[in-house]
Amino acid sequence: MTWTNVKLVLHREVRDQLRDRRTLFMIAVLPLLLYPLLGMSMFQVLQFVSEHATRVQVIGAERLPESPKLIEDHQFAASLFSEPSKAKLLEVTLVQAEDDAESSSARTKSGAVAEQARHLVEQGECETVVYFPPDFAERLKAFRDSLADREHESPGAKELAVPSPEIYFNTAKEKSQITHGRVSLVLDRWREAIGRQNLATSHLPESTAKPFKVAEHDVAEEGGHRDAAVWSKLLPFLLLIWALTGAFYPAIDLCAGEKERGTLETLLSSPAERSEIVWGKLLTVMAFSMASAVLNLISMGVTGSFVVGMLSKQIGPPPMLTPLWLLIALVPMSALFSALCLALAAFAKSSKEGQYYLMPLMLVTMPLVILPMAPGVELTLGNSLIPVTGVVLLLRAMLEGNYWHALPFVAPVAGVTLACCLWAIRWAIDQFNSESVLFRESERLDMGLWLRHLLRDRGDTPSPAMALFCGVLILLVQFFMNFALHSSMPQAESFHDLLMLVMISQLVVVLTPALLMTVMLTRSPRQTLLLRRPPLLSLPAAALLAVCLHPVVARFGELVQYLYPVRGEVSEHLSQLLSQAPSVWHLLLLLAVAPAVCEEFAFRGFMLSGLRHIGHKWWAIAISSLFFGILHGVLQQSIVAATVGLVIGYLAVQSGSLFPCMLFHLVHNSLTVLPAAFSSQEFEGFKEALAELAKRVLPAASSPEELVRHPFPEWFVRQTAEGGYAFGWPAVVLGGLLSIGLLAWFRSLPYARTAEETLQDALEHQSAPAAAN
Amino acid sequence: MIHVQQLTKHYADLRRGKLVALDGISFDARPGEIYGLLGPNGAGKTTALRIISTVLRPTGGSVTVAGADVLTQPSQVRRQIGFMSANTGVYDRMTAWEIVEYFGRLHGLDDETLKGRMEHLFQRLQMNEIRDLLGAKMSTGMKQKVSIARALVHDPPVLIFDEATSGLDVLVARALLKTVAELREQGKCVLFSTHIMREAEKLCDRLAIVHRGRILAEGGLDELRDRHDQRDLEELFFQLISQHDEREQALTAAATGDER
Repeated sequence: MTWTNVKLVLHREVRDQLRDRRTLFMIAVLPLLLYPLLGMSMFQVLQFVSEHATRVQVIGAERLPESPKLIEDHQFAASLFSEPSKAKLLEVTLVQAEDDAESSSARTKSGAVAEQARHLVEQGECETVVYFPPDFAERLKAFRDSLADREHESPGAKELAVPSPEIYFNTAKEKSQITHGRVSLVLDRWREAIGRQNLATSHLPESTAKPFKVAEHDVAEEGGHRDAAVWSKLLPFLLLIWALTGAFYPAIDLCAGEKERGTLETLLSSPAERSEIVWGKLLTVMAFSMASAVLNLISMGVTGSFVVGMLSKQIGPPPMLTPLWLLIALVPMSALFSALCLALAAFAKSSKEGQYYLMPLMLVTMPLVILPMAPGVELTLGNSLIPVTGVVLLLRAMLEGNYWHALPFVAPVAGVTLACCLWAIRWAIDQFNSESVLFRESERLDMGLWLRHLLRDRGDTPSPAMALFCGVLILLVQFFMNFALHSSMPQAESFHDLLMLVMISQLVVVLTPALLMTVMLTRSPRQTLLLRRPPLLSLPAAALLAVCLHPVVARFGELVQYLYPVRGEVSEHLSQLLSQAPSVWHLLLLLAVAPAVCEEFAFRGFMLSGLRHIGHKWWAIAISSLFFGILHGVLQQSIVAATVGLVIGYLAVQSGSLFPCMLFHLVHNSLTVLPAAFSSQEFEGFKEALAELAKRVLPAASSPEELVRHPFPEWFVRQTAEGGYAFGWPAVVLGGLLSIGLLAWFRSLPYARTAEETLQDALEHQSAPAAAN
Repeated sequence: MIHVQQLTKHYADLRRGKLVALDGISFDARPGEIYGLLGPNGAGKTTALRIISTVLRPTGGSVTVAGADVLTQPSQVRRQIGFMSANTGVYDRMTAWEIVEYFGRLHGLDDETLKGRMEHLFQRLQMNEIRDLLGAKMSTGMKQKVSIARALVHDPPVLIFDEATSGLDVLVARALLKTVAELREQGKCVLFSTHIMREAEKLCDRLAIVHRGRILAEGGLDELRDRHDQRDLEELFFQLISQHDEREQALTAAATGDER
């Protein structure tokens, strides 16, 4: 790959895009217009809310007490507003009440008023209706008098109730809601005034009702921190949305558009290599993605500062260094989004088809961007390892000024982001290398034909697409099976239940799809499932590798648990069920033999064989391991399983046989199960026999029983309180070194390459002399 | 210069199953000659030329261009060839000059050589009046000229023309054929595919008649006429193709008869 060509492609594409009116409109003009327009409409809405007068009808105003005044001059009393001029915002109409104390019964009276009020609000004759019941003033006066007479009467005197005034409003209408807010504030103030008068009549100080005030202190410094907190949630979100949209449209034009116009074939037959073309296009898309994000933020910032400045002084400007941090975060995010968009766009046959891919891309990205906005999601090591989310959280910490807190997470976030970027770019390049993608022709969608084609034109081993389908199918079946089992059997109650669950999930969910697909979609099940005789030494080597790797995996598992702590109840319940196992053999069958057979058939058999047609064995291993990991359900287990899956996948490729994989899996799982089982009764006899043996072989040993029970020194391996084993660092290091040795031995085995892998090798070697020319 | 040996290409097709686009074709094209691929639409000409220009990968067989293998050394092959077809497009938002310049630079020409080559080509192809015209505003003939200039800018030893005259009016087509003939004089190896007999007759030193992914006959024009005792190329072409189809039908009938 030479940068001259990348630069040439980049230069051309940028110029091309800048000459395209649609792109310029999306990236430059739209943001410049959008925010001022949005700002203006928001401004108007707010102005309406604060300035527009609304109508209130007061029924029964004649029943109000003389003092304090609620209504003066056909308006609510000005003293009841924070600013007396605001009294004008409520236009009051006084209505004579039609109900009389003497008329019919109380129930029908209030029913009639409610009907009248509802009618008024619904017809839009006014926004809110306030109703004062008959005798309101009299009963209030009676209540006050009773307060004044209190000193003379006994304390047990009956309380006189004052009837409630009523407010009718309609939450479905915004205007009515606003009016209700204003009216109820006025009534509250008025009631307080009455309260104060009451206290005065009772000769009590005003402080009786409110004996003290609660003093509030916000420790956020002078608004600065509070503003930072607001901005730090809002800005990263907007930044990423615009980076994604800004990347999408140019990407479609650069790939699908070029296919449509027929220029792609020309470009492909030029000396520019596929990777150079992709890099050139990628940098172009990235430039537009970043430009779009930056322009949007600037435009929004300018409009926002006007609108916010006019309306309220509550939110200050974002912190000084904000633009710097946003720019730094923008680079990797734009790169990632650009590469993703490019790969999707390369797949699309036409611009129209390309547009369809925006939605799925958004659906995948949005949760990752929104997750950090959820309350309580903070920058931790675990969160920092989630793509996109990690960057957003880190950016937030930087905006809030928590530099020291953020510093340790820079490395993991950068690592994950870089890995994702490389993966996405690789994917984009692969799309450009695949002629079925570049020269895709539209065919009539016909399921029957397609299925017949699958059966008729099947190869010896499955295609990568079939392998991926198998993986997805297994996960889907597992998901629905879990649902079904959960509804019929909410929780496994006994070991028998557990046995059933595991066997069903292994046989039905994992093994059956893989075997069915093998039989139906491939010509050579033996080759697909790697049912070949392995190199002789590879079996013991695989078993030994499992043993040596065990301490390393155990330590790794602890690390994962430390990063993403597990809820205790689940694992406790599980170990309780396991302890009910009738014998160790049941346990082994359940947790070691069944997974070793079923999962290996599915993941290292069908899936890996199919994925190897991609042409890169490590990609094949990694993808099959990923699915293997996801199958394990719980995140913590998934991470460990996916890592172990990498090792097993490597064994499968190097030995060309499934048997070493099964053996490794069996030994590996047994080692995790056995320690707990080993302390059970069944092994007493075995242990005694061992002790006997030790006595003979090592007569010098002080206590053979002790030797059998604790064959290793404490610093190497020690028993934990839960009955398991914990490995010391020496064991981990020793195991690791031995494992590396064994893996090196596997590496030395000659392995059978697929045609695609041979071709990729050849292609990688041709570029070197070509570049020298 | 171009050495094609037992080249096959299969596509997966939903309806028909494995679709054989090329069924073991072999030929050699030498420098200083125009080698024609003559065949009806769908014969596999475009597939063959796309494989030779490394845009598609062969399913089987081998192709070398100036000693480089198309499968394992595609970038070396691409340096040696100029590829032009009826459906190779022109960038809408670039001028003629910019397009040719872009591909010249991709071929690694330095500024001075590039300038010289381009002035020469624009002169020779009479393109100076469309120098600053955007691709979107060009007529089909203009676009074709730009495509030729683009394919010739790096002065490649091998040139591949795929149905290059389709959609052109007589004048432009004539000019194009003249250019191709000149290329032979310069000692280039030219591979020229067409379904028009007149073009093949006028231009090609040797040709292969391709039908359904196979070469039915191959050789110099006179050689072919003598061998099949038919002076008219069109008649010859028709005769070969109908013979082939009849044979195929007989074979299929025999095969189904055996099954019964």
